[in-house]
Parts: sequence; structure tokens; C-alpha cells
Amino acid sequence: MPTVYAQAQADQNASPRAASQDKFTISGYIKDASNGEGLIGVSVYVKETATGAVTNSYGFYAVTVPAGTYNLVITYVGYEKQNKTLTLTDQNIRLDLELKEEGRQLQEVVVSTKRDDDNVKNIEMSVNRIDVKTLQRIPALLGEVDVVRSIQLLPGVSTVGEGATGFNVRGGSIDQNLVLLDEAPVYNSSHLFGFFSVFNPDAVKDVKLVKGGIPALYGGRVSSILDVRLKEGNAKKPELNGGIGLIFSRLSYERPLFKGKGSFIVAGRRSYADILAQPFLNNDLKGAKFYFYDLTAKANYRFNDKNTVFLSGYFGRDVFGADFGFNWGNTTASARWNHVFSDKLFLNTTAYYSNYDYSLDSDLKRRPENANDYFRTDSRIVDYSIKPDFTLFLGKSTITFGGQSILHDFQPGTATAASSGDVRTFGLTSKYALENAVYIGNEQQVSPKLQLQYGLRYSLFNYVGPGDAYAFTTDVPLGTSRFPITTIQYKRGETIQTYGNWEPRFSAKYELGNNSSLKLSYNRLAQYIHLISNTTASTPLDIWTPSTNNIKPQIGDQIAGGFFKNFGRSNGSGSEFEASVEVYYKWLQNQIDYIDGANLILNKFLEGDLLSGKGRAYGAEFYIKRNRGTVNGWVSYTLARTERQVAGINGGGWFPTRFDKPHTLTTVLLVDPPQAKRWNFSATFTLASGTPATFPTNRFEFGGFTGQVISGRNNYRIPPYHRLDLAATLQGRQRPGKRKTDNWVFSVYNVYARKNPFSVFFQPDADNPRLTQAIRYSVFATAIPSVTYNFKF
Amino acid sequence: MKHTRYYVLTILAGITLASCETVIDARLDTGPAQLSVDGTLTDQPGPQTIRLTQTAGYFDNSAPPVAAGATVVVTDNTGKTYAFTDSDNDGYYTWTPAAKDTLGRIGRTYRLSITYQGDTYTASSRMNRVPAIDSIIFRKEKINPLSATEGYQAEFFARDFRGATDYYRVKYYRNGVLANKPSDIITLKDASFSGSADTDGLVFIRPFRQSINPDSLYALNDSVKVELQSLTVEAYDFWQQFSQQITNGGLFATPPANVPTNIVNTNPNGRQATGFFIASAVRTRSTKVTESAVRR
Repeated sequence: MPTVYAQAQADQNASPRAASQDKFTISGYIKDASNGEGLIGVSVYVKETATGAVTNSYGFYAVTVPAGTYNLVITYVGYEKQNKTLTLTDQNIRLDLELKEEGRQLQEVVVSTKRDDDNVKNIEMSVNRIDVKTLQRIPALLGEVDVVRSIQLLPGVSTVGEGATGFNVRGGSIDQNLVLLDEAPVYNSSHLFGFFSVFNPDAVKDVKLVKGGIPALYGGRVSSILDVRLKEGNAKKPELNGGIGLIFSRLSYERPLFKGKGSFIVAGRRSYADILAQPFLNNDLKGAKFYFYDLTAKANYRFNDKNTVFLSGYFGRDVFGADFGFNWGNTTASARWNHVFSDKLFLNTTAYYSNYDYSLDSDLKRRPENANDYFRTDSRIVDYSIKPDFTLFLGKSTITFGGQSILHDFQPGTATAASSGDVRTFGLTSKYALENAVYIGNEQQVSPKLQLQYGLRYSLFNYVGPGDAYAFTTDVPLGTSRFPITTIQYKRGETIQTYGNWEPRFSAKYELGNNSSLKLSYNRLAQYIHLISNTTASTPLDIWTPSTNNIKPQIGDQIAGGFFKNFGRSNGSGSEFEASVEVYYKWLQNQIDYIDGANLILNKFLEGDLLSGKGRAYGAEFYIKRNRGTVNGWVSYTLARTERQVAGINGGGWFPTRFDKPHTLTTVLLVDPPQAKRWNFSATFTLASGTPATFPTNRFEFGGFTGQVISGRNNYRIPPYHRLDLAATLQGRQRPGKRKTDNWVFSVYNVYARKNPFSVFFQPDADNPRLTQAIRYSVFATAIPSVTYNFKF
Repeated sequence: MKHTRYYVLTILAGITLASCETVIDARLDTGPAQLSVDGTLTDQPGPQTIRLTQTAGYFDNSAPPVAAGATVVVTDNTGKTYAFTDSDNDGYYTWTPAAKDTLGRIGRTYRLSITYQGDTYTASSRMNRVPAIDSIIFRKEKINPLSATEGYQAEFFARDFRGATDYYRVKYYRNGVLANKPSDIITLKDASFSGSADTDGLVFIRPFRQSINPDSLYALNDSVKVELQSLTVEAYDFWQQFSQQITNGGLFATPPANVPTNIVNTNPNGRQATGFFIASAVRTRSTKVTESAVRR
């Protein structure tokens, strides 16, 4: 059927010279004229055939048409439109292009969808993009632009509370998001335990969040993909960027290499809150040190038209403690090779290494007087992976296929304790697992109105030795610790447990007229590794564990449907307004929960303290965005539920998860007053239901203390959350002939100083155990003003 | 580990300079009253007491309603029976020894039986071994790393028994006053914290040895008494979870949950009870902060 259609199209449109039906391909890279960065998502449209293509993550595109003369229109929001006329006679054409940024107008463009009317025309649904330029406009906590905090302003994305690590997408827990930094997974995306994320905005080019309709290319997590791409570095001229803020300072340097055949960027940050905060610390925190730093680097080299290599790396650490302290951090490295086999076949091969570790030490300074008495523990997860991804451009179809192989090495914790000179080393042995996947997908233009994307992924997980596998008793009451009854030892490389899953993916788009479309999607994803965390906000000490003979892989199924419409004045760069309504329903299997009083640290028999349950999440997301004008920005409203059912908790009934928020409203306004050339303003407002909490009903006394009697998990809700943030940016005066540009960003977080509850908990008064209290805990209880200075040479 | 973890989390929470805790009004439903048992028997000479109360609404800050008129009997595995009585109906049921009799013996298992309002509740606990406290020393230290104020930091030494996993609770008294903040609930598994920590037979690790200090440390001439109690694994879990429950809060709170109980209604459909019955052998050591006791 597709073939027939393609023929008909060709007949109508081809010039007489092309009666032979020979088809040729136009392909190439599209880059930013100012710095040579590959541009992601540029639209290449062939007027005569009314077909087109979009550049991939590396800026590569390909369109296939019969011989003839064609007008190509290349558009990308924020860049000047280009028209090219080409004649294809007897061979494929390589067409590399550079696009120029639009001038001052750029400022008023909110870019979360990049192509003109992309939200309607693209088959992708449940996808949000944030451009770094938009990121920089949103009022930020302490003036620090942050990727993860900003995506929390998008529909369907929430968090258990401000300051919490990670984010929840459509009712999924934080370990269900695959967070990728140049294709290497980042296992803990936070600095300062959640206030900031590990992504240095100076080095980030593109942020894409996929919440549903996840293509076959991706796998390994059941809820979402956060795909962060780093800048390649300016390939035209050296550039220095920096910023000085209240919490940390940033500096990045980028420049061309080998006469423009390559380029690199190096970006670093270091916090100095430890120095500034010292006078304000409470007694028992005096002398505490806490700081973080990170370094992000990337280089690329283009050998020829067909081969380009990229190397990316990230290294960051957080350090906390006084005498006793701990530190944690991620290291990722990825190497990628882009190879253009023919004008139709594109290959990217990625090899990556990712490491997350923490260590805890009773004496950070390792003073000699403590040589006989100390406690140290280390934990890490390390991944090694290789991942070839092919794209075959066939005109009406774009076929993607490839695979991935990951070796996971889990070191859940080793410890050394010394007491009066006796030293004991104990803890948990490493666990190993191999995760493999192959996939194929096709994106197909069935008719001018109907586009389909379908694919299949098969994932295979092997939990392998060396290691001990335990079988646990089932002869204890539900919800209590199960003890091991047998232990089987496995040798190196022996398979302990295997799981395989077929993961079908499907999306469809049907255009209703020029300005609206309906979309539908279904996806199934399997997840084989799990974050063991039983606290409200995840801590850096939480460990990742593989699926084992006792822990089944998580399976997520999601269906989503949406209506997308653009309206208002339309100019060269799309409609004035874009709007969408999406609904979704998600089923989650094998969700991990914990028995009361579960022991998660250095516990060999951890699996005996875990429970398994089901999850369901459903909701509707409403979104409207104004793309330009003096006042632009977006409003989103999400109506959602997320619930869990676990045998052994709440009598086996459904209960709301800790991050269930029925209502969430977010507003982002960007104001560019035409009168004030150097100033612009922005505001965000968030209003959300309070999250569920567990409150006691009764009390009892024991040993002089007052305890709680609790009737069920998450039986109450804390008060609602709302917050207003404001920011203003002042552009420095540009001196003629000077390359330096600079700006000042003034912002106030939590403008009206609301004491938003993070949680409400119940405790006896420390001095009067019989006096019980409800205590509201607020993370940011005051308005937080800040100033940041940014510069660029 | 609870302590180390607690400490880590305190540091983390503390960096949130703008964070704030406010006592607020909360309206709570009150559930039906249950029998609550507070009973720890020891091997020490003298009377032994078991307290019976009823649960009350969480914000009911008065003394808990007394569970009077119950029949309370303890038997041990040698067949001896000890009757606990409450002549003044204040909920404190007492067994008073004749002459030099003591109730508790290490190695015996004690069984509690309570008949109250038509229901019969039972519980049992073994009295496990407990090592002696070898010594208590003091060091002059700043009360925190940046403070100019100094005090005397106490450290006690005791060694876990080799073989079998042992569980303990530590209590301490300053000038005869028991330290009884929720943060003073100190429990050990072998010589350290729970988890698969193999510290069998070690001297208690330092964080526990130094867990007997008030925030301000001690002053010269203070008297210090340290009590080491043996626990069963069940009683250890109870204390751990109880401590967690009453100190739970902030960014890294765990889901609030009921603490376990070993008080079982013989009628499975009858009302459940709360609290715990613990048999505990106790060793104590007392000393005074004197110049000669201070290590330099």
C-alpha cells in the first residue's frame, strides 16, 4: 500500500524527464552558521512533492525523490529560512547547509517545539523540548539555570517536593526515567541532593523529554526518556562563556580544532555555598563542608563527509561532612562515531561508560588518632555499553534498527569497620548483569494525512555469576521480613536468572486540515534495574539493584491519545498559538515496595524485605503556548492520579503514591517589552495539590516515649503547593567592535514567601515526650532573591 | 548504621538554609482504643513492673487512660509463676519479690499472659546474655568542631560476645537523670548497627561508645551511669522501628508505619494490642567525671 501511494505521488509531481522513476537522495548535515553546531530537528521540505525530512540528533537528514527539479525550504525556529533549488538528474546530491540565527527577534521566541507547527505535523506526541535559550529565561532558584527543575514546569512532570532528587513523569517513580547525557545514562542527576542537576547549562545544546509514544530506539526504563545533548563546541571561533552566581560560578571555553574540521568545549562549575553559608549553620553543623563541582567536556572531529567522531565526558562530585562525611558523584564518558554509508543509510555507534558511586567515612580527614577506630563504606554502579543505531531513509519510510549491549556491575556496598584496632571488612559482593536489546522501527507516511510509526524491541536480561542466589520463605505474614531458606552459589559467567521481553511500540498521526491533528500511541517498556529507596526524597546513598531470581523486571504499558491544534496569526515561523490535549493511561507491573522497617543498607538479604505490586496512572494534560509577542509563554494543567496496589500494604487495596498530585497548574510567562530594548522579564507560577501523607490516628506510651498508631498508608494529604517566581534580565551595552556580551539576571524565588509544605510529620516534643505535635516541614520557606552575572567573549 | 545514616541526613537537611519547621494544627481521626503494654523485665533485684494503658487520640496530651482490672501473670520455662498486681488501679502491675528473690535469669524464656476486658493476650521473650561494661573514660573536647566551649566527652568500652548474634540497648544517666530524648534510643547488633555488618566479638564501635553524651557534653564532677541491656532480635527490631517512627521527618522521611508488637490476642478476631514485652539482662557502670578519669 505505501509503495502504491509513493508511485502515485511521483507520477503527479515528477517532471517529464523523470518518467523513468529513478529515485535520488538529497542528504547532508545542517549546522549553525555562527558556531558550526549541528542542528537537531531542522525541517527540510520539498515543495513539489509536499514531503520532507527532519534532521536527526546529529543534524543529518535525507530525502528521496524522483529525478527532477525541486525547491527545498529549510526552516528552523529562531533561524533564517533558506530556499534551495536543485536538479537531480542521474545521481544523489550531498547538500550540507548552514543556517543563520535571526537577529534580535530571537529573544521573543519560546522554543520548546522547534520546527514550524511541529507539534501538529510531527508524529511525536508526549514529547517536550526545551531550548537552552528558553531555559535561560525561566526564573531559576538562586539564579541558576537548571534543566531538571525547568522540565518540572512541563505538563505531566512533577516532583515529590521541591529539593527532591529527580522527577516523576506521568505517575512513574524517579528510577523509571532514562536520563541520558550524550547517550550515556546518568544514575543520579542531582547536585546538592536535588536542588540542582548535573547538567551544566553552558554546555547543553538540546533537552528532549519523551513521556509517551516512546520509539523502539529507546528502552530500559518504563516511564520516560530525558535526552540531553551537549554542544559540540564552536567550530568557527574561540568562545569563552561564564557566569558568577550566589551558589556557584561557571566557566566554559570552546574553540575550533584542526582548521574547523573539529571543535571542543570544556565547561566547569564549582559551588561556594559552603563558604558563604558557614556563619548561618546551626551548632552541630559547624565546620561542615559541602560543595560540588563538575566538569563537562566534548570534542568532535570530522574525518571526511562520511565519518565524524564525538567524544564526551562528564565528571562531578558532591562532598558533605564535618569529621564524618560522605561524597558522591557520576562519571560518564561516551564515544560516538557517525558514519554515512550511503546517502540513505546513516549509522551512529555509541560506546559509553557510566559510573555512579558514593563513599562514607567516619573521619574525612583520616587523622592518626582515629587509625584504630573508623568506619568506611563504598557503593557503586558501573555500566559499559555499546550501541549501534542505523537509520535508513527511504523517502516515505524511515527505518531505524540497531541494538544495545550493556554490562552492569553493581557494588551495593562494601564496608570496613575498625574498633579498638580490630579491623573487619564486610558488606555485599558485586552483582553482575548483561542487558541486551535489538530493535527495528519504521516511520511511514501512509498518506499526506496519515503517518505511522511502529516498531518492536526485544530485550534480554541475564543476571549472572559470580554471586549467591537466595530463595526466601513464603511462610511468614505478608508485609514482614522473609528469611532465606536456601543459597545457591554461582560461578563467574553462570546465568542465575534470565528475563526476556517483547516491547511493541506504535504511534499514529492523522492531520485534520492544516492546523490540527490527532495522535495515538501505545508503548510497552521493560526495566531491569531498580533504585532501592524508601525515603520521601531519594538520598545519594540509595543503591541500584538488578532484577534477580527474586526481583522481577518492571513492565510499563501506556496508551495515550492527543489532539493538537495551532491557531492565531501565522507568519514565516509558524502559528502564534499552539495547543494540545493529551490523555494517557499507564499500567505498571512488578513495582518495588518495602516492608515496614525494611533494612536497605548493607543487607545481604535485602530481597526478603521487598514487596512487589502493581501501579496505575492516568490523566489528562492541557497545554497552550503563545510563540511570540510581547507576552509569550505557556500554561499547562494536568489532571492525574497515580496509585499502587501491594499485597502487604493497606490490606492489599489501591492507595495513592507519595507523588500523586490530582491537580497541577503551571504558567510560564516571558515578557519582552518593545520599549525596553535591554530588559526582558519572566514569571512562573505553580499551583499543585498537596501530596499524600500518612498521619497517625492514636498514640501509645512505651518506655517514656509516645508512639503512633497508624491506620493506613497515605491516608491524608498535605496542604496545596503554590509559588510565584520572577526574573528580569538586563543586557549589557554592546560596544562597537567588541565581541564581549554580558547580562545581569535578577530573580526572586517564592516571591510571596509561602511556607510550602514538603511534608507534615508527627513527633513528640524532644523535652516533653507526652506533648505530641504536627510539624510542617518547608524546604524553602522564604523569598529567595539572587543576582547572576553572565558574560561571553 | 541508623546513627550514621541519621547523621548524614541531618547534615543534608541542615544545608537547606531556608528550610523551616513549623508546628501546625492538624485534624486527625481517632481510632478505637487498644490495650497498650509497656513491659521490660530485668535480672536486677527488686520489684518488676508492667504498665498497662489504653491508646488514646494522637493529640490527647494527658496521661493515657489506665487499663485497670487486668489479670497479669508471667511464667518462665521452668514452670515458675509470677503474679503482677495493681492494688491502686493506676495501671502499673507489680511483682514484689519475697526476700532476696529475683525474677530474671539469663537464658530463661518468660511468657506474659494478660486477661483484660474479656480478651486474653500473650507474649514471650527470652532473657539473653549481656557483657559487662569494662570502663568509662573522658576526653576534653569542643562541644562541636567550631565551638569555643569545651566539655567532657564520655566513651564506654564493652566487648560483644563471640558467636551467635547479640542485640543490645544502651541507656545513660547524667547525675541520676535518664537521657530520654527520642535520639537517645541507642541499639546495637553485635558491636555495631544492623545490616550484614559482621562485627561479632568486637569492642563496640566508636559511634556507639560515644553515644552516651548529652549535646553539651559532661561537666567536671558530673556523675555518669551507663546501662547495657540485652535484647532479643524482635525487641531490637521494635526499638529500631520505634525510634525511627518518633524521629521520622524532613526530606528523607520513610513512610510512617506501625511499630511491631509481640502482644498477641489469643482470639485472632479480637482487638489487637500495641506495645512490647521484653526480658532484658542488665549490666551497669557508674563513674564520676574527675580529672584523673580524663584521657589526654
